[in-house]
Amino acid sequence: MERLMPKIMLDFKDVVAGYTDKNILCGFNATICQGEFIGLIGPNGTGKSTLLKCLSGLLEIKSGEIQLDGVNNITYSHRERAQKVAVVPQSFDIDYDFTVEDIVLMGRNPYLSYKSKESKNDYRIVMEAMEGTKTLQFKKRLYNTLSGGEKQRVIIARAIAQEPEIILLDEPTSALDIHHQIEIMELIRDLNLKKSMTVIAVLHDINLAARYCNRLILMNNGEVIVDGTPSQVINEENLKKVYDMKMLIQENKLFGKPEIIPLRVIKSHEMYRKIRVHVICGGNNALQVLEGLEAMGHNVSAGVINQGSDDWMICEALKIHMIEENPFTNISLDKQKENLRMMSECDIVYISDLPFGLGNINNLVGIESLKCKIYLNNNWVNNDFTKGLLETCVNKIKNKRELIEINDDHEFLKAVKKWTMINH
Amino acid sequence: MKNIIAKYRIVISIIICLGIIYFCTLMGVTSISFVDANKILINQIFHIDLGMKNISEGAAVIIWNVRLPRVILAFLTGGALAICGAAYQGIFKNPMADPYILGVSSGAALGASIGIVLNFSGNFLGQNAIAILAFVGAFLTIIIVYQISRVGRVVPVGTLLLSGIAIGQSLGAMMSLIMIYNKNSMTQIMFWTMGSLNGKGWKQVLIVLPYIIIGTLIMLTSVRELDIMLLGEETATQLGVNTERLKKKVLFSSSIITAAVVSVTGIIGFVGLIIPHIVRMVTGPKHRTLVPFSLFFGGAFLIFCDTLSRTVASQEIPVGIITAAFGGPFFVYLLKKRKKGGS
Repeated sequence: MERLMPKIMLDFKDVVAGYTDKNILCGFNATICQGEFIGLIGPNGTGKSTLLKCLSGLLEIKSGEIQLDGVNNITYSHRERAQKVAVVPQSFDIDYDFTVEDIVLMGRNPYLSYKSKESKNDYRIVMEAMEGTKTLQFKKRLYNTLSGGEKQRVIIARAIAQEPEIILLDEPTSALDIHHQIEIMELIRDLNLKKSMTVIAVLHDINLAARYCNRLILMNNGEVIVDGTPSQVINEENLKKVYDMKMLIQENKLFGKPEIIPLRVIKSHEMYRKIRVHVICGGNNALQVLEGLEAMGHNVSAGVINQGSDDWMICEALKIHMIEENPFTNISLDKQKENLRMMSECDIVYISDLPFGLGNINNLVGIESLKCKIYLNNNWVNNDFTKGLLETCVNKIKNKRELIEINDDHEFLKAVKKWTMINH
Repeated sequence: MKNIIAKYRIVISIIICLGIIYFCTLMGVTSISFVDANKILINQIFHIDLGMKNISEGAAVIIWNVRLPRVILAFLTGGALAICGAAYQGIFKNPMADPYILGVSSGAALGASIGIVLNFSGNFLGQNAIAILAFVGAFLTIIIVYQISRVGRVVPVGTLLLSGIAIGQSLGAMMSLIMIYNKNSMTQIMFWTMGSLNGKGWKQVLIVLPYIIIGTLIMLTSVRELDIMLLGEETATQLGVNTERLKKKVLFSSSIITAAVVSVTGIIGFVGLIIPHIVRMVTGPKHRTLVPFSLFFGGAFLIFCDTLSRTVASQEIPVGIITAAFGGPFFVYLLKKRKKGGS
């Protein structure tokens, strides 16, 4: 339980930094304790990499102060700083034929004077670093001949050989495939947990950040927007502020961490006549249709939906108006009537690909009297869990009015598009 | 066997270099017999008389005061240029860099041509006036180039490289102008710019020796940091290298060595460019081996070229022509061979 009395490793006070005519960091504030695993997230150009540059001594700050282990960062020599802070860049290529061992051995430079050669102890540390990153088996190979994931592991080994207290990573996984992304993140988490190294990582993959970091700092325009645990930071309100886009945030049940699904950024070039559409749904299959209708800009509603279903979640995320019912509960008469009232105001009603049971068959009660167009997904024949009640119901509607049968959601969306598109 | 060679490669290289110095001293246009030449050398070095009576005074002077210092000067010059080339290529991270890239040679050439045109044949403080002017020209060029590129306390290598090339070009233009208005000095200036070790003796050896020793020692104390510089300046800084100090230290010392060498021998091209590349292909990019082996190989290469320049034709050919004529194709051969090897 060392974490009860955490030691303050880094303290940023109103840090302003940037280039001659433009400030990138505009008053950055944060206090970072030993053993934290921090993810810096935020859009491109908000100063995340600049912050790492200031910390590692590449860029002088214009005002404010960075305290590194209780001492002002500018008082460190590059050598002293390199004993405390190691940097892992995004990806790293060398034009020269250095072996893996040569590269990792360079991590010992901060401890060696110009006179001394690398000692046995240095070689032992380097070997351990290579062992820990599984790079020992190719230590004699040339760095240039390695794959992207192997290279990144070598650079992490070099950082470990520096025996730092803080390790800074600038998008360490952005050039890697998913296997190697997870491998690198696990490696870093191990360093964080086993050696209680303080980790600060710039990450673009918010899901990766939420999964591995125990604290996230969301930045925008050189300032901190929110600073907290992943579940405090990853919510729609915060992310909307910095990423101008539609997104869906849900909890990843497996990791117990929030997860973001980016939806779209560019608003459609096509123009649509706005209509009222109601989707009868409530299972797990209406997500595409709801999203597609919303993307066209129509006034969408849905119902009756049991809380907690996938359809319910997307309606929540997209702020689609819906008639809700408690989880695993039969649709009550009240809700059914409310649903019908809502449908009566609509231009189109769509009966989506939805399993019908005795609990939700009353969704269809009364819709034969509606004036609007009604579309029916053809798959209803496979969705009948009502012992034939559904068929009766559908036939009853068919007798009274027109039901437009379509094969799938895609076809429905196409039909709506065709009907509402404004020709230029 | 391989391990033994790897372990003692420095010693083996020194022995080979001494052997080359020895054999090339014996070679020359004036025919002096093998036995006589050995007797002269033994007499001079160990003061053991093995029958000097039959040997003419002239032969002794040729061996001891002409050929041997010339061969040694060739070794020092070639070695120094190769070390400086290796250092420049490391600092600039540019395979095209050579010791003359910052305009040192143009500055020296301009200084020398002023001396030649004004007919400074005399000596000053025991040194050839033309050589002194060449050194001053080279030295001033370094300072100008450095001052132009400096931004506060930082010297960006890209700017340094470009301003070196720009200054070098303008100084070259000035030299051409001087040549046009002084047609009778043209040949002499031309010969100076092609570089030659003709007529150089112990005095010149003693002039360049201290620069080379000190410069090499400075280089050898920076080998690890020079390696790290190859990863780029930002990474080097993050690995604890004070890059600005290293750049100043290495660039300044190699510029001074180059200035000293050029002022004595004229512009001997190609050695500083290709020798480090050749050595790198064999030993790898680490400066701990690159620096000493560049010294040995550069030295041996220039001895070889200089021996050819004074023996191959009745009229001596400027050594700069030989270095380029041999170095170029040899380098191309190595590049091709390396490609086939796939590494």
